[in-house]
Amino acid sequence: MTAAPHTTHVAGSSFTRWIRPRPGHWIRPLAFMAPALAGLALFVVYPLLALVYYSFTRYDLLNTPVWVGLRNYVFLLWGDPLARKAAYNTVWLVVVITVLRLVFATGVAAVLVRVRNGAGLFRTLIYLPALAPPVAATLAFTFLFNPGTGPVNTVLSWFGVSGPLWFSDPAWAKPALTLLTLWASGELIIIIMAGMLDVPGELYEAASLDGAGSVRRFWHITLPAIAPVLVFGVINSIILGLQYFTQAVVAASVASGSADIAGSRRVIGYPDNSTLTFPVWLYQQGFHYYNMGYASAMSIALFVVSTVFTVFFVHRLRRASHAEEMA
Amino acid sequence: MRRIGVAAACAAFALLASACGPETSSSGTANAPSADEKVSLSVWSKFSGRELGVLQKVLDGFQAKHPNITVKNQGSQDDDKVAQAIRGGNPPDVAISFSTDNIGQFCSGGAWQDLKAYISRDKVDLNQLPAATRAYTEFKGTRCAMPLLADVYGLYYNKAMFAKAGLSGPPKTMSELFEYAKKLTVLNPDGSIKVAGFVPTIGFYANHVQMWASSWGAQWAGQDGKSALGTDPQWQAMLEWAKKFTDFYGRDKLAKFTAGLGQEYSPDHAFEKGQIAMAMDGEFRTAFIEAEAPKLDYATAPFPVADNKPDLYGGGYTTGTIIGIPKGAKNAGAGWELVKYLSTDPGALQELAHGLKNVPSTVPALQDPTLQKDVHFKTFLDIFANPNLATNPASANGGAYLKSAEDFSISYQSGGVTDLKAGLAKTGTQIDADAQLGS
Amino acid sequence: MATLTTATDLAPGSTPRRGPARRRSNRRGLMRWIAVHSIALAIGLMFVLPLVFVALTAFMSDRQALTADLWPRSWHPANFAEVFRTAPLLKYLGNSMMYSLLATAGMLLSSVPAAYALARMRWRGRQTVFLVVIAAMMIPPQVLSVPLYILWARLHLTGTLWPLILPYFLLDAFSIFLLRQFFLTVPQSYLDAARVDGCGDLRTLLRVLLPMTRPGIAAISLFCFMYTWNDYFGPLLYAGENPDEWTLSLALASFRGAHQVQWNLTMAATVVVMLPVILLFVLAQKSFVRGITFTGVKG
Repeated sequence: MTAAPHTTHVAGSSFTRWIRPRPGHWIRPLAFMAPALAGLALFVVYPLLALVYYSFTRYDLLNTPVWVGLRNYVFLLWGDPLARKAAYNTVWLVVVITVLRLVFATGVAAVLVRVRNGAGLFRTLIYLPALAPPVAATLAFTFLFNPGTGPVNTVLSWFGVSGPLWFSDPAWAKPALTLLTLWASGELIIIIMAGMLDVPGELYEAASLDGAGSVRRFWHITLPAIAPVLVFGVINSIILGLQYFTQAVVAASVASGSADIAGSRRVIGYPDNSTLTFPVWLYQQGFHYYNMGYASAMSIALFVVSTVFTVFFVHRLRRASHAEEMA
Repeated sequence: MRRIGVAAACAAFALLASACGPETSSSGTANAPSADEKVSLSVWSKFSGRELGVLQKVLDGFQAKHPNITVKNQGSQDDDKVAQAIRGGNPPDVAISFSTDNIGQFCSGGAWQDLKAYISRDKVDLNQLPAATRAYTEFKGTRCAMPLLADVYGLYYNKAMFAKAGLSGPPKTMSELFEYAKKLTVLNPDGSIKVAGFVPTIGFYANHVQMWASSWGAQWAGQDGKSALGTDPQWQAMLEWAKKFTDFYGRDKLAKFTAGLGQEYSPDHAFEKGQIAMAMDGEFRTAFIEAEAPKLDYATAPFPVADNKPDLYGGGYTTGTIIGIPKGAKNAGAGWELVKYLSTDPGALQELAHGLKNVPSTVPALQDPTLQKDVHFKTFLDIFANPNLATNPASANGGAYLKSAEDFSISYQSGGVTDLKAGLAKTGTQIDADAQLGS
Repeated sequence: MATLTTATDLAPGSTPRRGPARRRSNRRGLMRWIAVHSIALAIGLMFVLPLVFVALTAFMSDRQALTADLWPRSWHPANFAEVFRTAPLLKYLGNSMMYSLLATAGMLLSSVPAAYALARMRWRGRQTVFLVVIAAMMIPPQVLSVPLYILWARLHLTGTLWPLILPYFLLDAFSIFLLRQFFLTVPQSYLDAARVDGCGDLRTLLRVLLPMTRPGIAAISLFCFMYTWNDYFGPLLYAGENPDEWTLSLALASFRGAHQVQWNLTMAATVVVMLPVILLFVLAQKSFVRGITFTGVKG
């Protein structure tokens, strides 16, 4: 990226190309976009339309779908306490994960940007857990937090604390999942660190000449400067929370001590449905009970909620790209 | 590069168009392959390890009779996987399910083929099946499965531990079970559990609500066909007992204990390891003990019954392994030959019953002198013959109601429910509402 | 552009000097250094100790793994051999490799031209299509699972990994999105110059844009590889029924079921599944960090 490959530069050439399109100029973009457009049609638009249709039917994937009108939606909103429980669990995870992940990641990043020796090593250490496949990370955590002989409760017992049952206690299972998510949030930490390093040093110099302490400098300079990155973190965490599936399923299966493959109907939500997230219940309804129609109605609900955040994200992105074009 | 994408898209669309619409299910019968026609049959079951080997031996016998048929024996396949495979159009030719929980779903949804036409064609005498097994292999007049051995649940107890605690015979009522368990429990110096007299945790090993319910005489459905969870007082009694039992140990202490115990079908099973003194289990455990813990000094008995229903003693819970032909099986004709062989051939049943230590599912095979001689096993044959033998009803949405009932029970047992009676009634209403969804 | 250079700035020792009067008090500076580095060390340990416990347990004997001991009394590297003996891990590894490599290849084939069209060609409807791509990227994977499963079931492709691989040859919204952002960082003058030299769109893309955004291509390939390698929901949905098609993640999830109390074996299997990813990271650390910061700051 040091020297331009071609030194000849004709000013305005791009302008002429855009203003006066050659005949059939749309063929080229279409050719370039063809796979993606086909993909969008086949894997996004078609399934969404099909989803709407199926959500009004009873369908077990064996017999032809039967139109049942709004019954699935009525059942979802008023008839299914587990769907309510699952929605509660998902909202719990979205809120707690989003708040704690941002606070935690910002805190860790604030320390790590000040590290001057071995910064690369620290960055690797905090990123390793984020790399681990979620199944492996969850297995590791259920072992670390296993109530009988797990290292965490062992260490707690040195301090005279009798550790909770973690993944086996309905009250502690979600907090344990939250810890797991924080442990694997190295990606966000690195992003926030990059944001912090982008803050011009002169701002800090000026602030400290004015007598601002480090807390005030962080509050009045760092935070506003990394606000866009934090917004990204919020959206990213919300999406993460809305999709929460793998860790919940694997933790439930391991903690229940079931011999069945993870995701089997008996162990889902263990203990006491405290890890039953909305996507997990959707999966259970669709692919264990084969209530495909009801699962479609649940999917529509999840889609509507996630769309709200998508709109927010797109809005922000458009603002950013406008700013870019202005510059 | 874009050509690949377009080609793939076209191919996908073409396939989609041609493959749309439901497949027609055959109402008739497929003929058995002729003797010179080479056929490959796939059989899926949840057997694994030693038990899969036993099945293989019996399949070898089938193959000796039908040299043109090659049988592929696939273990560790539970109902979920079979159901997925049926939907995807790649089902096995023969499916074996470990429980009858889903029979309603199999028969009413058409996931398993109706066998009636085969049975009348080959003049198979269904009267050779005991009434209970005949009932749990059909649903509302559709016979979509045959019984392949039955499972009967009873009490296993460690005789050495009983002697040490000064107990002689097995407990006969639920209160006795509780009292015995108190005497048999041994704690470590730090207060944690070393040996549990009986683990009352619902969901642990064979402790499932449907198995306990038969010993409590608790009914699943009333006269009107609606759930009886809220109306039959036995449910309340059963759960209160379970809660009291848990509180005796302490919920946390018990959970820490069970978290360290071996898996149900592994050599580390806690009863085999001498970590629990009494357990509810199926007759098949005798074979596991013989293979994995031959020195264990134990005995078997019918499971204790509710104090207010002493006449139930001697009966117990039964369910069975069932076998059928999935919808879309490629070789249904040959598949039926195997189903018929495994479920009615005396030689095959005998070998399976001996190898798996399961209760045979035909009347003639029940008289097998070898099985009658085994003192541990005889208990289960007697329970099976007892008029108070019970099972849980089939439902069109499969075992969904079992999950609802068990979820609630576990929640109550771990202290998450204050009003038991109201909670049971609510769960009952929920079960009725859930049943509406799939119908 | 700024973000790309930021990533390299993350290298050790390049932290910009900040804070007041560092020279005034060397002692205060030293105290600060000790404070910051000990907190950082504690944080680092917090992140890495769980992995250390996992690795240590993987070397314990069956019996010791059931105790509260943290350090192996005797070392049992044979646990790893046992893991490979009890489960056909090589087959699962092969399946994971097939899924990840084919998906990544397919993603590159489909995303590069699409990202080019979205970033560097001007056509009516471009903004709309781009918004649809973003919307597709944000849909939780479970939302479309029912209709897609029905689709693949009708094509008789459930029970295999193909329903997961094939879509990458048409569309991977996240990669298109990220790659478009990378393509936008190349100054227009380079493209204009290429055009003056008579390059068409295809040649401009292959000769100018791709070489200039090689780090971006590396980053999205790594992301795609990692995402598919770590994927659990997809293989569970489509390949759960067929153990011959299981990926490592799926196999690992059921491994514990078969080895209930043998935490040592379960942890050894966990180490085996984690290792390839960690190796990949060590080899391609720069691309990873660059990609991550790019998503965060630009996305």
